[in-house]
Amino acid sequence: MKRHIITVGILIGLVILVVVAVEVANVRLFVRIAINLCIMLVLVLGLQVFMGNSGILSFAHIGFMGVGAYTSAMLTIPLQMRGMALPDLYPVLANVLLSPYITIIMGGLVAAAVAAAISYPLMRLSDAAAVITSFALLVVLHTIMLHWSEVTNGPRTLFGIPKVTNLYLAATVAAVAIVAALAFKESRLGILVRATRDDEVAAAAMGANIPNLRWIAFIISALFAGIGGALWGHFITSFSPKAFYLKETFVILGMLVIGGPRTVTGAVFGVFIVTIAFEALRALEGMINQAQIFSEQVAGVTEIVLALAMIAVLVFRPGGLLTTREIGDMIVHGRNKRGEK
Amino acid sequence: MVGLIQFIIDFLSLGGAYALMALGLVIVYGILKLVNFAYGELIMVAGYTLYLVGGTGMPWIFMAIIAILMSVLFGILTDYVAFRPVRAKSVTAVLITSFAFSTLLQNGALLFISPRPRNIPLPDIFTETIEIAGVITPIRNLLTIATAVISLSLFTWLMRRTVIGIAMRAAATHFTMARMLGVPANLIITSAFAISGLLAGIVSMFWLGRIGAVTPGIGLEPLLIAFIATVIGGMRSLQGAVLGGFLLAFIDTGLNYTLPQDLLKFRDAFTFSLVILILLWRPEGLLKGPASGQRT
Amino acid sequence: MIKVSNLQAGYGAVRAVRGVSLTLGKGELVTVLGANGAGKSSLMLTIAGALKPTGGQVFFDGKDVTGATPERMVRLGLAMVPETRDVFPDLTVAENLRLGAYIRRKQVDAVQADLEKMYEIFPRLKEREHQAGGTLSGGEQQMLVIARAMMSDPKVLLLDEPSLGLAPNLVDQIFEMILELKATGLSILLVEQNASKALQIADRAYVLRLGEIAAEGTAAEISEASDLHAMYLGG
Repeated sequence: MKRHIITVGILIGLVILVVVAVEVANVRLFVRIAINLCIMLVLVLGLQVFMGNSGILSFAHIGFMGVGAYTSAMLTIPLQMRGMALPDLYPVLANVLLSPYITIIMGGLVAAAVAAAISYPLMRLSDAAAVITSFALLVVLHTIMLHWSEVTNGPRTLFGIPKVTNLYLAATVAAVAIVAALAFKESRLGILVRATRDDEVAAAAMGANIPNLRWIAFIISALFAGIGGALWGHFITSFSPKAFYLKETFVILGMLVIGGPRTVTGAVFGVFIVTIAFEALRALEGMINQAQIFSEQVAGVTEIVLALAMIAVLVFRPGGLLTTREIGDMIVHGRNKRGEK
Repeated sequence: MVGLIQFIIDFLSLGGAYALMALGLVIVYGILKLVNFAYGELIMVAGYTLYLVGGTGMPWIFMAIIAILMSVLFGILTDYVAFRPVRAKSVTAVLITSFAFSTLLQNGALLFISPRPRNIPLPDIFTETIEIAGVITPIRNLLTIATAVISLSLFTWLMRRTVIGIAMRAAATHFTMARMLGVPANLIITSAFAISGLLAGIVSMFWLGRIGAVTPGIGLEPLLIAFIATVIGGMRSLQGAVLGGFLLAFIDTGLNYTLPQDLLKFRDAFTFSLVILILLWRPEGLLKGPASGQRT
Repeated sequence: MIKVSNLQAGYGAVRAVRGVSLTLGKGELVTVLGANGAGKSSLMLTIAGALKPTGGQVFFDGKDVTGATPERMVRLGLAMVPETRDVFPDLTVAENLRLGAYIRRKQVDAVQADLEKMYEIFPRLKEREHQAGGTLSGGEQQMLVIARAMMSDPKVLLLDEPSLGLAPNLVDQIFEMILELKATGLSILLVEQNASKALQIADRAYVLRLGEIAAEGTAAEISEASDLHAMYLGG
C-alpha cells in the first residue's frame, strides 16, 4: 500500500508542480500548454487502462474522445448560438442547456455507454484481428462524426462551446485519473486483466472470463476518453471531426509507448516527455518559420521526431522507459536494497 | 444497355485497382500475419517521385518506372525500419512501428515537399476519352483494366512457377517449416515487401491519375480500401484478396448508382461496420484461406 | 554426426528440455522414446534450429551449431520431419517436393532425378502429383513430408512421430521405409511413442522423461529393461 501512496504522491506532485510553475511564470502560452498536458494525461491514462493492462492495441480511443467532446458541446452551447452552431439539432435537444460540469461527466458516461454497447464481441479477438477491428471502429466513429450533422454540424467546425476548462479543473481531473488508473491496475479486476495479457491460456485455465475482463477495462478506458474529450472541447471551444482521427491517435499512442504502457508512471512520464519535446520542437518550427529561412512553412518536424522516438523505443526498450515497475515500487525497492546492505 | 456497359467498365477498372491494392497488403499479411499500416504511403511515395521527376522532360513511361521503383524501395525500407527490428518482439510492437513509419513518411513529405497538393505529370492518354458502343469513357479506365489483367497474370506466374513464389506461398502457411527446408526467412519477407511496393507503385499510377495530384495524406484511402477488400476476401488467401477487391468495387459502384446522396456519405461507416461484423464472425476473413494443415 | 551435450530449451517459463546429452553416429538409427510431454518434440525442434536453446551445445559433423538458424541446419545436411507434419496445404504435391530441394535449386538435373526416385518409392505421390497437399490423407501426407525432407539430400534425418495417427498397415509401411532409408547410409534420429516398433528397427535408444534422459542403451537393452513402463509413467 505504501508504495502505491508514494507513486500517487509523486505523480500528482508532478502535476501540482506544473500548476505552481505555470502560475508563477504567468505566461499565457504556458497555461495553454499545461492545460493541454493535463488533458493528455486523462486521455493517455485512459488508453493505459485498456491497452497497458490487456496488452491489446486499440486505435478507437480517440473516437471515444470525440464522442465525449460532442456530447458535452451539444448540451452546453448557449441557446442563442445553438441555432447557428447546430442548425439541424433534434428539437428534443434544441432547448436543453446544462451545466458544463455535469455534461463533462455525461460525455464520459456516453462514451462509456457507446463502448459498452458495441465492444463486447470485439473483445474475443486478439492480435491482428483485434487491431483491425479497433482501427475499423475508429473509421466508423469518425465517419459518423463527419456526417451526423444533427449533432456534430457535419464536417464543419462546431463553435460556441463555453470555455470552462481552466488549469485547476484540468489538473484536478488529471489527478483523479492518475488515482483511478492506478486503482484499476491494482484492483482484483486489473490484476486479472494483466494476467490475461501475460498468459492468455493460463488465465483462461484459471477460469478468467477474458472477453468480460477486457470489456470492463475497455469501458473504463472509454470513460476516461469521453471525459478527456469533453474537457478538451471546453478548452478549445471550437473543433471539427478532424480533431479525432489518426494524427491524434498517433500522438497518444506515442506518449504511452514511449513512457511504458504497462505502468501508470510510464503513461504519466510519457505525456510529460512528449509534451515537453513537442513544445520545444514547435517553438523551433515557429522560429524557423518566423525567420523565413525556407520559402515554405516548416511543418511535421514534431511528428517525425515522435515517430522516430517511438520506433527507437520499441526496438531498444520494447516495454517503454518505465517497463514494469511504478515509481513507488522503485523507491521502496531501492530503499529495501540499501537496507539489506 | 448503355448504362450496363458503363457500369461494367466502371466496376472493372475500379475493381482492378482495388484488387492490386488488396494484393499488396495481403502478400505481407499472409506471411507475417501483420498489417503494414505504412502500405498507403507507398502510393504517396510513387506520387511524389512522379512530381519530383516531372520537370526532367523524359518520356512519361520512364518517370513511371522510376516512381514504381521508388515504391519498391520504400516497401523494402518498411521491412528494414519498421518490421525487422521488432518482428521477434511482439505483434503490438510491429503494428505500432508500422503506424509510426506511416506517420514518418507522411510528415517527411509535409516537411520536405509541401502540405499542399502537388500536380503530377500524366500522359495525354490519361485524360482522353473514347467511345465504346455509345458509352464515352476515359481511356484511363481501360488502361487500368488492362494493367490489372497483366499485373495479376504476372503475379500468378510468379507465385506458381518460380521457386521464390512457391516458397512465399509455403511461408504463408507454415513459416517455420519453410525455414526447416532451407528457405531463408529474411529473403522471403523482403521479397514480399518488394512485391507489395511493386503492386502499390503500379496501382498508384492509375489511382493518382484519377486525381492528378498528390498530397501527404493520399495513402489513407488506398490503405482503407485494401483493408476492407482483404477482410472481405479472406486475409490469408491471395485469390481472396483479388476477389475481395472486385467485390468491394462492385458494392461501391453499385451504391454509387443506387444510393441517394445523403446516405452515400455514410458509405464508409457501412462498409467498415461490415468489416467489423465479418471479422467477428470469421477472424480469418470471409473466404477461407488455405487450411492451416495443423493436423496431428 | 550429431552430438548434443547438456541441451536446454523451453517456451517462456516452461523448461521442456533439461540438460539432454545424446549422440547419433554415421549411418546409425537412434530412437528417442518417452511419454507425451517428455520433451521429445522440443528436443527435435531445438536440434533443427527451430527452437532456440537456452543452454548446452549442439554439434553437427564436429562443428558447433548451437543456436544456428533452421536454414543453416538444412544447408549443413539436416532434414526434419516435424510431428505436426506441416504439409503446405495449398501447394501441390510436386510443389511441396520442389520446395524440399530449395537448397539445391541450382542442380536442376539432380533434383529432377531425385524427384523421379521419390515418385518411384512413393507411387501414391506420383498419382497425386498435381493435387493440393491439403487434400491428401494422413498417410499420404506423411509420405509427402518424408519425401520432401529427402529432397534436400540430407546426411541426417530427424523423424518426429512418423506413425502418429496412421492405420496399422501404414505404420508398417513407414517403418519399412525408414529401414530402407537407413540402408542408404543415412543417419536417422527417430522419435516415437510406439516404443516396441521403434525398438525393433533402432540400433540404440534413449528414454526421455520430464525433459531429462532417464535411460539409454542399445535397442535390445532398452527392450529388456523391465522398468520401461515405469520410466515412461514416471513411477
